[in-house]
Amino acid sequence: MKVSLFVTCLVDQLWTSVGVSSVEVLRRVGCEVEFDKRQTCCAQPAFNTGYLDEARPVARRFIEIYEESKADAIVSPSGSCTAMVHHYPQLFAGDPEWLPRAQAIAAKTHELSSFLVRVLKVEDVGASWQGRLTWHDACHGLRDLNLKSEPRKLIRNVRGAEFVELEHADACCGFGGTFSVKYPEISVAILDQKIDAIERAGVNAVVSGDASCLMQIGGRLSRKGSKVKVMHLAELLAADARG
Amino acid sequence: MNHLSSETFDQNAKAALADSHLRGALKNATSLFGERRKAAAASLPNWEDLRSEARAIKDDVLSHLDRYLLEFVGNAESRGAKIHWARDAAEANSIICGLALERNARTVVKSKSMTTEETHLNDALEAAGMQVVETDLGEYIIQLAEEPPSHIIAPAIHKTRGQIAELFNAELGMPLTDDIARLTSTARATLRDRFAAADVGISGVNFAIAETGTIVIVENEGNIRLTTSLPRIHIAVMGIEKLLPRFADLDVFLKLLPRSGTGQRLTTYQSYITGVKRQPSDEGPEELHVVLLDNGRSRMLAHPVTRQSLACIRCGACLNACPVYQQVGGHAYGSVYPGPIGAVITPQLMGIQKAAQLPFASSLCGACREVCPVKIDIPRLLLHLRAEISPRQGKLSERLAFKMWAQVMMRPSLYKLSSVVGRVMQRFFPVSKAWTNGRDLRPIESKSFHELWSNE
Amino acid sequence: MNNVARETILKSIRSHLAASASYDKQEVSHGFPRMNADQNPSSSVEICGQFKASLEAVDGHCMIVRSDNEIAQALTNIIQGGRIAISDNPEVERLLQLTDLEIEELGIAPDAHDIFRFDVGISTVQAAIAETGTLVLDSTRERHRFVSLVPPVHIAIVKASQMYRTLGEVLTLIRKDKEVSPAVTFITGPSRTADIELTLAIGVHGPQELYVIIDEVS
Repeated sequence: MKVSLFVTCLVDQLWTSVGVSSVEVLRRVGCEVEFDKRQTCCAQPAFNTGYLDEARPVARRFIEIYEESKADAIVSPSGSCTAMVHHYPQLFAGDPEWLPRAQAIAAKTHELSSFLVRVLKVEDVGASWQGRLTWHDACHGLRDLNLKSEPRKLIRNVRGAEFVELEHADACCGFGGTFSVKYPEISVAILDQKIDAIERAGVNAVVSGDASCLMQIGGRLSRKGSKVKVMHLAELLAADARG
Repeated sequence: MNHLSSETFDQNAKAALADSHLRGALKNATSLFGERRKAAAASLPNWEDLRSEARAIKDDVLSHLDRYLLEFVGNAESRGAKIHWARDAAEANSIICGLALERNARTVVKSKSMTTEETHLNDALEAAGMQVVETDLGEYIIQLAEEPPSHIIAPAIHKTRGQIAELFNAELGMPLTDDIARLTSTARATLRDRFAAADVGISGVNFAIAETGTIVIVENEGNIRLTTSLPRIHIAVMGIEKLLPRFADLDVFLKLLPRSGTGQRLTTYQSYITGVKRQPSDEGPEELHVVLLDNGRSRMLAHPVTRQSLACIRCGACLNACPVYQQVGGHAYGSVYPGPIGAVITPQLMGIQKAAQLPFASSLCGACREVCPVKIDIPRLLLHLRAEISPRQGKLSERLAFKMWAQVMMRPSLYKLSSVVGRVMQRFFPVSKAWTNGRDLRPIESKSFHELWSNE
Repeated sequence: MNNVARETILKSIRSHLAASASYDKQEVSHGFPRMNADQNPSSSVEICGQFKASLEAVDGHCMIVRSDNEIAQALTNIIQGGRIAISDNPEVERLLQLTDLEIEELGIAPDAHDIFRFDVGISTVQAAIAETGTLVLDSTRERHRFVSLVPPVHIAIVKASQMYRTLGEVLTLIRKDKEVSPAVTFITGPSRTADIELTLAIGVHGPQELYVIIDEVS
């Protein structure tokens, strides 16, 4: 199976180990991974803030780049970016040229855990990690992509990891893109509910499928001097006995 | 009455976040409401099918609204109801005040109606010299407190029992108590006389049935039954979108509304009112007037995304599920319709300029869409409104920043100069302080993933 | 004047719907299936027992009896006497006379001015719904609109033959009339509110207590 990685601008700039881990996991389960260096962004920031005229050219660029790929699937370690690509048909509604192209690319684009469990039918990637951890359901992954059981199946097969279900795991972390800086006080108030639940869970790490949520959660945990680490699902799955 | 404005949502929200009483009340109320709704929905194995069916019915009504409205009007009029059409809030208030004054009414009893809050009917009636008594317990409380409602179905949810006790003590001379049953029975006793003496009863409408000309109103307290059966004149106020095509459609909506609103299988009372009584000696009002209010609703029909706003059955489930509402409550929105549905209908009803912040006051988490009994895609609506607002009214610095962002994202060579991007974004769109006031910022990697891949 | 408003509103509706047409075509049709909403599995639980359980779940009281004398006995257990308002169904007065209650004042369908004096209201019903514990009152068939609303206690006498399983069936029944009755009321338990701190309080504006006596044998 040949996979083209969409690493996302956030991971590219701020959290490269997520990208590195994604590649490692995909290779470990037998995929050939290609990376098109022309990739930049899925256009979500502009789309979500209401700047569709700016979002469209960037989305077209994404479509063009990946149309040239011979890979079987486009895989991304981000639920929100994947959901954005799935919204491309909406962005090009009524456009006779771009709508079918958008639909085709959207159909080929998968979030990492969804790709592993639903497409490759793999639930055990041979990972091991010692400690107690919990899972935060990132909103787009959960509600747009219906990801709920898939990440949990993958986590439960990580040797040595003790998984506890987080209270209100599906509650928003308060990031919401530009919302986090347009209404920072509300964003942090929402975030603190998540932080309280994490602290009550008594875990060593909180895992999620979206780096944006992890930045939000991690940023508050470290500000509060917490010892709890944040970890992306890809990083957890790439972990093995070597650490 | 002290109304906060939608235009100062950010300040309102900050003040709400600093109010620990409010936050405690909100936490209890929204989590209780949420649990009860969830349990009630789970008790119906075909819940999802019911939602789909309800949405299909509403889509049909809204796509043919003029036809169904005329069918309703024809049937209601043939049964003796008088129909009044109101283009906007001022016209509705004027019609209602006119009806009351013509009949020398002095006292008006009201049951809870969000539509009359929307038009500020009470202010108009009082200005016309009438005494208005809100009879729904929650509405009565906020009327005494001179506050607007903070939730669509539980208007006084932001008040603790202690605050209500102090209010009743100050306004009614009731000795302080934190016994909720005693507070309730005081309200009952105080309001009893007002029903008997009232000349006019004003209610809202939950559903209007086109096929029969029936209006349906649901409640738990009994004040709606009293308001609509004791006074000689009953005036019912409804938004034009409240229609259902057939009597039988009520089966679906009566399964969804109580469960979504309060977690009940059925509210205590439903009143099905069709025209006026057949004999003068029968029990009930002599006159029934139905006021049909547009006030911006017809405009929302112009696009499928905005049209779904009108499917709302005012259950309040989205408020309880919303992480933003849970933190700041209803008053911050500066509108009688707060929360997720309020964030989308307030700009459409009041005009985008008056409520431009509201569509942005959301993390787009989608919890609202999950609980909406008629499957309104509120996140999609929020994005639709943002796309209307930003290009025209967004801050110049923000519009420029996104134009630059697009140019950068189109050119891999430019994109690779990521520190440039970071600096540009920060200069035109200050990220750091808004972020770093509460959270540590993750540093930009010294080598991007692109660069790491090159080194493979 | 109002015709101008009417025409303006209708015109606004029509023109905005017309404007929507091109966007409607672009929307992916969700194809919601139209279905018979009443698809809950039909209960095999005995119907009067189901009503009783449903009503008790919402703080109503329910007695199932098998004769007029048992109805009278049930009334005696509930009422101590006092001022009683009854509907104009002669059945109610007849059953009340079977008791030996000392009634201070008996009002037959008192009007809006007088009804507030009474302690208890007694009526029959036109139908009942087992799955929800609901009473169905049609004000054209019996004068019980105030009797069932104003006094703090309401007693309803139901015949088993009036019992239906589902709300949907009763909606169909109501609709069968050539002209739907001007005032139909559904009652499910005593009045309640949770407006103060979401804490349940029973007995607000409507009756504080509801008793339903079901005659199983009728």
